[in-house]
Amino acid sequence: MCVLGVFLKALLGHFNAYESFTSGAKEGLGLFADIFPSLLAMMLAVSLLRETGLLLLLGETLKPIFKGIPAEIFALSLFRPISGGASLAVMIDIFKTSGVDSLAGKMASVIQGSTDTTFYVITLYFSTVGITRIRNSLWIGLFADFVGISMGIILVALFMV
Amino acid sequence: MVFLNRIWCGLILIALLYGMITGNIQSINDVIVAVGEETFEFALPLMMATCFWNGIMNIARDVGILRAMERLIHPLLRRLLPDLQHQPEALQYISANVIINMFGLGFAATPSGLKAMKLMQEKNPQKDTATRSMVTFLVLNTAGVTILATNIVTLRNQFQAVNPTDFLPWAVIATTCASAAGLLLDRWCNYRKP
Repeated sequence: MCVLGVFLKALLGHFNAYESFTSGAKEGLGLFADIFPSLLAMMLAVSLLRETGLLLLLGETLKPIFKGIPAEIFALSLFRPISGGASLAVMIDIFKTSGVDSLAGKMASVIQGSTDTTFYVITLYFSTVGITRIRNSLWIGLFADFVGISMGIILVALFMV
Repeated sequence: MVFLNRIWCGLILIALLYGMITGNIQSINDVIVAVGEETFEFALPLMMATCFWNGIMNIARDVGILRAMERLIHPLLRRLLPDLQHQPEALQYISANVIINMFGLGFAATPSGLKAMKLMQEKNPQKDTATRSMVTFLVLNTAGVTILATNIVTLRNQFQAVNPTDFLPWAVIATTCASAAGLLLDRWCNYRKP
């Protein structure tokens, strides 16, 4: 729908949409080069944790305490604010092992889609302008993440099963 | 990111040690051999989708749709960031950042976000300390509302989800709650009259 609107506007306004699209897509290639290395690093760590059985052990330990919440979701929630690559790797792992349409798969999608990598954003933005005293921004960001993740778990448990 | 380095090394060390203790060397080898190709398999469709959406977004920017959307959220931002009244340019970069983030293209939003930070820093009386506008902006950024999480839709599609987009409404509600909670806490902590 919104894609249609973009093309309509381009045609009516005599914009060179073709040029815009190709130059934007080219930019996308560069952005990808920034992401792939960190994704690879985190896939290594997560795959090792899973294949050696440690992730399973963690799941079995946590299961009696948090009934109804798949154990993988804890790993995801823990990684989400720290590293985008790590949480993406955990989500892919959940899709692969539990299935994309399982409870864990749905929760992972909602959680991953609802918050951003707080630690990364705060480090990058403040260090770029040379600010070392970040006041309460980290705590507020983490609080917001906590609310987003909890809401994600609750909503999926209530409405998407 | 020293912090990330420690976590990464720690996780790998723990996994390797655990695998060795339980005698599971074979699976460690399997991971090491396969992880590169496996990651590439997921990364490839992500890359294609990134290129596609970045292309579409570029058209939207050039024909002025992004600008129109920015104007839509401008009044709200002006109220959220009262200290930026006399810095319309910073406010403009912030609206661009928020709008691009809405489409799940966080990395594409970074340049405008950094420009906003630099403009705010110019007017900052204490150069090593964050202003309250910066704090509010980063809360908006990290807990910002995402309407269309493009990369997750792509991955769900690749894993043959019955409906790759069915999670979106719930994600929007969750992200709205996160933004509201973050902004309210920010108001309460940083904008109360003394």
